[in-house]
Amino acid sequence: MYRNYAKQNVGNNEVALAVRLASVNTSTLSPDPEDADISDEALLIAVGNSQNVDAFNQLFKRFAKKIFALGMKLTRNEQLANDLIQESMLNVWQKAPLYDLDKGSAKGWIFTLSRNRCFDMLRKQKRQPNCISADDIWPLESGAEPTMVHEDIGGQQVELSLIEGYFDQLSDPQRAVVEQIYSKDRTHEEAAAHLQIPLGTLKSRLRLAVAKLRNLIGVNE
Amino acid sequence: MNTDVKLHPSTELLNRFVQGELVTGKSVVVSAHMELCESCSAKAKELQALAVSSWVDPDSVLQSDQSSEADYPTMVAGIVKSPQIKSQQIEALVEVDIDILNHSIKLPKVLAKAASQGLEWKKVAGGISEAQLFLDNETLCEFIYMAPGCQVPVHTHQGSESTLVLDGSFEDELGKYKTSDFIIRDAQHNHQPRSNEGCLCFAVLDSPLKFTEGFARLMNPVNRYKFKKATSRVA
Repeated sequence: MYRNYAKQNVGNNEVALAVRLASVNTSTLSPDPEDADISDEALLIAVGNSQNVDAFNQLFKRFAKKIFALGMKLTRNEQLANDLIQESMLNVWQKAPLYDLDKGSAKGWIFTLSRNRCFDMLRKQKRQPNCISADDIWPLESGAEPTMVHEDIGGQQVELSLIEGYFDQLSDPQRAVVEQIYSKDRTHEEAAAHLQIPLGTLKSRLRLAVAKLRNLIGVNE
Repeated sequence: MNTDVKLHPSTELLNRFVQGELVTGKSVVVSAHMELCESCSAKAKELQALAVSSWVDPDSVLQSDQSSEADYPTMVAGIVKSPQIKSQQIEALVEVDIDILNHSIKLPKVLAKAASQGLEWKKVAGGISEAQLFLDNETLCEFIYMAPGCQVPVHTHQGSESTLVLDGSFEDELGKYKTSDFIIRDAQHNHQPRSNEGCLCFAVLDSPLKFTEGFARLMNPVNRYKFKKATSRVA
């Protein structure tokens, strides 16, 4: 079902996005019936994987007013609330590749970014000491991992056939990621685009899968 | 993580924390407690999920009457020119240990970050030392160390004091508090903390404390001055 990705990648229209949605791992999504056809997650993935401006526009339309309302509630200042739309949506664009759909909804992720930017904006406005920021107080769970794993699964050369024997012990999403990276030899970006998942999700699934394989094969770190 | 914590922030306080409504000092002390307390960490996640659903609810009371008059297309056009971040910049993890008697204590991450520019310990009186953190201009935030066997003069709070126990234990008229406990005291409480085994705490006050008995009352102007000084520092 991923075969036509290259073609989809060219088109920025909603049909292409809808097709992508179909191939996102839907078990982790909870589509809101009140939303238009495309989930927030699918839009965010299109922004993160292929810098899709139309998808970003859609997200902007869906969230700008909510971010404004949050800003009004927390700052009671219209100018700051408008600034918050700019700051938060800029953050959404910049960090979209880090979003991890295994760790929560796109709404929750955008809420977290917006609340944190608002907190920092208010601190700056009140000229509070800058020894600490919102991201220290509410650490982001996605992406902030100390090690990255594009390396040998084992310290020594391990026969692929041996590893394949353990593949069925991985979850389907984990196995798909391992195949992309180790068997098809794709880069992280290519694999994320191919599987239609955020880069952040790809990295965390890969890390979990590799840890599990290492454990099964009995290789020490 | 400690699963045997007795005293926690109230649900209301946790809720205001996840909504981003608390002043920095209070946010930091709640965040530090959550790092030590599994149940509050889980509860905060649930509260945040609720906050998010009410945020996106079209009928939500949160929706502002005023509407933004910002120029959306211009904003979008500007934003999409920015480069994206492909992998999280891993900030070198700050570690701060506080050495006490014969052992050292690793601070929760958020406190370590806040204390990374160095702590200036001052001996106050009777085996008590304090080191302030300057986090905002509304609260007085400080680490308080009580040496074994020492006690703080009887006092009350005009506002409220949130205290997180980081090591050891202390007790007052209302109970005994151990590592990871989160205690709130306000004007209703007249208390006299004391510690037999020694204790390191982090405390956030939103107004000066007031000694209520004996010679310690002479210190009250000093408490007020200290509070004013602590909250007037700017970036």
